[in-house]
Amino acid sequence: MSGDNTNNDCAPCVPCAQESLFSRSCIALLTISFVLVGAFIAMTLIGDAVFYLPVLRQVFSFRYYPLLLVAVPLLSGPLQAALGYRSAWLRDLTAVTTTFVTFLFILAMYPQLLTDSIYNTIPAVFGYGLHFHVDWLSYVMVSVSGILWLLVTIYAHEYMAPEEHQDRFYLWMSVTLGGVLGTVMASDILTMFLFFEIMTFSSYMLVAHNESAESLLAGNNYIYMGVAGGLAVLVAMILVLFSTKTLQFTYLAAELAETGWIQYAVAALLILGFGVKAGMLPVHIWLPKAHPVAPTPASALLSGVLIKIGAYGILRVATSFFMPAAGPLMSRDNPLWNLSHVTGAAVIWIGILTMAVGVFMALQQSNMKKMLAYHSISQMGYIIMGAGVAAYLGYYGAMGFSGAVYHTVNHALFKSLLFMVAGVVYLRYHELNMYNLGGLWRKLPVTFVVCIIAALGITGMPFFNGFASKSILHHAIDEAYTYGHGSFRYAEVVFTIVSGGTVCSFIKLISYTFLGRCPEKIATVPNTGNRMMQMAMGGVAVLIVGIGVFPGYLMNTFIIPATRSFTYDPAFIDRYLVDMNFFNSHDLMGTVRVYALGFAIFFVGKKLHLFHLHLPKWLSVEYVMYKPLQSAVLRVSRHITTNYETKANNADVYIYAALLMGSLLMLTVFFR
Amino acid sequence: MLSLHLPVYALLAPLIAALILPLTTDGDSRQLRYIVGGAALCATALAAVSLKGTLGGDVYTYYFGNWIPGVGIEFVINIFSSFMSLVVVFISTLVIFYAFRNITHDLAQHLIPYYFTLIFLMLFAMVGMIYTNDLFNLYVFMEILSLTSCAIVSIKRKGRNLLASLKYLMQGTIGSVSILMGIAFLYMVSGNLNMSALAELMPDIWQSHSINVLISIGFILTGFGIKAAVFPLHTWLPDAHSSAPTPSSALLSGLVVKIYLFAAMKLLFQVIGVDIMREVGLQLFLVLFAVSGMIMGSVFAIGQTDIKRVLAYSSVAQIGYIALGISLASPAGLNAAFFHVVAHALMKGALFLSAGAMIFTTGKRNVNEFSGMGYRMPFSMTVFTIGAFGMIGIPGFAGFISKWYLGLAVLDGGHPWILLIILLSSLLNAMYYLPIIIKAFLCHECETVPSVMERDGLPATMWVPMAIMAVLIVLLGVFPQLLMNITGQMPHLFL
Repeated sequence: MSGDNTNNDCAPCVPCAQESLFSRSCIALLTISFVLVGAFIAMTLIGDAVFYLPVLRQVFSFRYYPLLLVAVPLLSGPLQAALGYRSAWLRDLTAVTTTFVTFLFILAMYPQLLTDSIYNTIPAVFGYGLHFHVDWLSYVMVSVSGILWLLVTIYAHEYMAPEEHQDRFYLWMSVTLGGVLGTVMASDILTMFLFFEIMTFSSYMLVAHNESAESLLAGNNYIYMGVAGGLAVLVAMILVLFSTKTLQFTYLAAELAETGWIQYAVAALLILGFGVKAGMLPVHIWLPKAHPVAPTPASALLSGVLIKIGAYGILRVATSFFMPAAGPLMSRDNPLWNLSHVTGAAVIWIGILTMAVGVFMALQQSNMKKMLAYHSISQMGYIIMGAGVAAYLGYYGAMGFSGAVYHTVNHALFKSLLFMVAGVVYLRYHELNMYNLGGLWRKLPVTFVVCIIAALGITGMPFFNGFASKSILHHAIDEAYTYGHGSFRYAEVVFTIVSGGTVCSFIKLISYTFLGRCPEKIATVPNTGNRMMQMAMGGVAVLIVGIGVFPGYLMNTFIIPATRSFTYDPAFIDRYLVDMNFFNSHDLMGTVRVYALGFAIFFVGKKLHLFHLHLPKWLSVEYVMYKPLQSAVLRVSRHITTNYETKANNADVYIYAALLMGSLLMLTVFFR
Repeated sequence: MLSLHLPVYALLAPLIAALILPLTTDGDSRQLRYIVGGAALCATALAAVSLKGTLGGDVYTYYFGNWIPGVGIEFVINIFSSFMSLVVVFISTLVIFYAFRNITHDLAQHLIPYYFTLIFLMLFAMVGMIYTNDLFNLYVFMEILSLTSCAIVSIKRKGRNLLASLKYLMQGTIGSVSILMGIAFLYMVSGNLNMSALAELMPDIWQSHSINVLISIGFILTGFGIKAAVFPLHTWLPDAHSSAPTPSSALLSGLVVKIYLFAAMKLLFQVIGVDIMREVGLQLFLVLFAVSGMIMGSVFAIGQTDIKRVLAYSSVAQIGYIALGISLASPAGLNAAFFHVVAHALMKGALFLSAGAMIFTTGKRNVNEFSGMGYRMPFSMTVFTIGAFGMIGIPGFAGFISKWYLGLAVLDGGHPWILLIILLSSLLNAMYYLPIIIKAFLCHECETVPSVMERDGLPATMWVPMAIMAVLIVLLGVFPQLLMNITGQMPHLFL
């Protein structure tokens, strides 16, 4: 189950007892977690009676898991850094154990969730208190983050071994986990904001870890945009608090509807603020820079989890602030859906634009990690579009909502796996340009297999996880023009083309990297085992296939309860979502069309050398907007300082006189 | 119950210390430190006890020499004056302890007793300005404060210090004269210098001699504009604050400018009254200056390379925040302003003290040379980071809370556009603080930097005050109610 099926012939493990102790502990922990996941799935299928075995009752009735989940990683980070001074393997084992313990806590929360959502409060902090609340939506996010963090931490041990400043890396990785868990479990926007900012700063340390000029530049992009996004959320928060007197994620559409233009300002600021993290256009420019330069475990987590937090933020506010409370007379035409409707329409188009630009840019890339980063943007476009449909259709938005959530889970899995694959290639050959690689399937068979699995996942092949969520999202955009405006018909066309582009892009990745002839430089590199890395990747691959074969499980157990907890039409959910038949002929035929389109683009592109086409610089948002903006601010400041500082300082008495005369005049003449 | 003389003792303790200190000759002796430290702690304790007496909302008045208010001097000890004097004395005490070692870096031995004399005189004047309820007495304390604060800049006796303090002195004098002029215009028509009495007469005066009141407002505002370095009258501040010895910079930026703002508040709210302010439409006028200061202070700070100059210009921006809260003239605005006074005193104190510690140890002042400082002096740089995060407004640090309440106050006052200015100003703050921090902790071009963090090697008198400030910044950032419960009682004393 652990996926430790490496068949590399020569694997001279570091001849060190501690190393093997570490590996054995990891294997044990991972096996235990997979057994537990199996048991967990069995229990959810059998029913909740099992949860009340006397032995487990104590464990399952503990009320403070959310607090523990936040506290454990935040406290463990400094501990790891301190241990790192003494021994590396002990630090890494602590890191793995921490994530394992976190994961256990997450599993143990489930039974309480069946009866009610879990509330925790730390009073007095910020004067409002910190409030945590785990509902189904949070639980999906929490469990994805938990399991992915466990696998990536195992993966990190071997990958990070040659790097410097490992203590720092583990410290901030653990703090980031605390931030992520806190953000998704927050029950009011102030708590969310606190952890959101913790996450921004700690993940900055991961991005800039290498301290190379490139990664510092990428880090600067990331941190400034992150701070700007945070401030946008802050302003929105102040507006919400002022106009509704609450910060909790409750249904506020009725209160906000009375505030006039403020509601639109709030919506725009929140979407912009969270969109920065989500890699939404046009505030995505940090993403393709930051993800490639970060160490691979960090890029896997950034692409896998962190950018989803932005999408989660949009989903969360769309299902609370912009949503009216359920009532007996609630219907689709209720005017309280107005804000949701307007924002949703905008967000759908932003999502469509994001996915199209992302995939288009991805096709131009030669650096594997950069290409994957652009695919992250493109896939985030799917999720943002789903969230947009959910908001746009309002009462009937359950399809868009579940598509967005489902795709969040799936993308977390296959994108982190793809980054891990790129990491293995880079660790072995120090090469990320796919045109300089080739024939690696012989050298890295396990990696090849998991790469194929991940690629099938992202391109939406039936029996791999992406298929389910892409079908749902496709249904969602179909509904957007069935129930809503006709122009979303074109959105659907873009959706199909983008899916084709994704297929093409991964054909390109696999054929250039793993197939074909092996360049000599590569062929001479000796084989060394990276067993723990392979095990971690195998773990993710198992999950991808598992979800792909049983797409209904995730849907029925987690996502449909999540949709039911918000103001979505229960009749609609029963009719379209419950026991959805994923493998129907219509969707399967759609997949065939997408794959045919993908192959066509690939061969046309290869024939006409379109993949080497690079857009002129002036077309990129960065050169049109951000660079000039930044340099303008700096230049203006310097200009003012050099030219006017001394002048102003020398003219002090004149300034005084002018102001005095001015104010006296104003007060006495104009006021009188 | 408060012993009636306690607050006055808190005022006298620094004065007595200031008189004793010149008698000692050895600037580095243990004796000097005992006297200085003892007096500072004593003043803190007295101020703390007098705060305890007023926490319930009691107000005490103290007549010097039992002269009646119209003739003699009246002190008012209420929650505002006792708390703010505690803040002043407490932060000064931290800075004084820090100064024991740090000042030996800047000053010759024989000047050190005089330096502490000046500091104590300054402390005396600051506390006096907070307590007093008499306009002319206010002016006297203000003059003492101006002269001593010039002197603690010029005591370094270098060319740029003398130049800076001369400019400070000239501008300060213009400001003082301007304020005196304003007071005179009020005295001319009222014949009274006691603030409470003036306030009672004010409606009648406003009816009969409104032109006097208006001219007086103009003079007073412009005068305090200079004194408190409100943009664009800030021009003396960067030179004076950056060239002064570090403890002086911390006191000047952290405390002195705010004392002038308090005095301006007393005149505006307690003498002239908020009704007249509203009638004249003074609020929007003041808001515009505050807002332009918030932006321009940061714009100037971005262009600087000297670390202390960056911090000095940052003060100009932060004074804009406080001035904004005051000029909103609403309970929420004043509350936010008071909170930010304390928060900024701590943050700017922490920033100046940590920057001073780095200058003390490495001699580097240029921010471009700060590469790898996080490894060379991790403790100081951490304190600097905490202060800077506070300034940017990262949640969990005191500055965030100020921005939060200021934002709510701005909405409450019906100026939602100022929210955008706050956002822009925070972004600009990030633009000059973050590069310093990033360069200090992550540095790619410096091979000479050790890869393992070293100890700072600071004496305890330096790092303990820095640590206390850093802890308080975080504490106030996480539990703002500790302070909000106190500052929340203050606005009604003014409005």
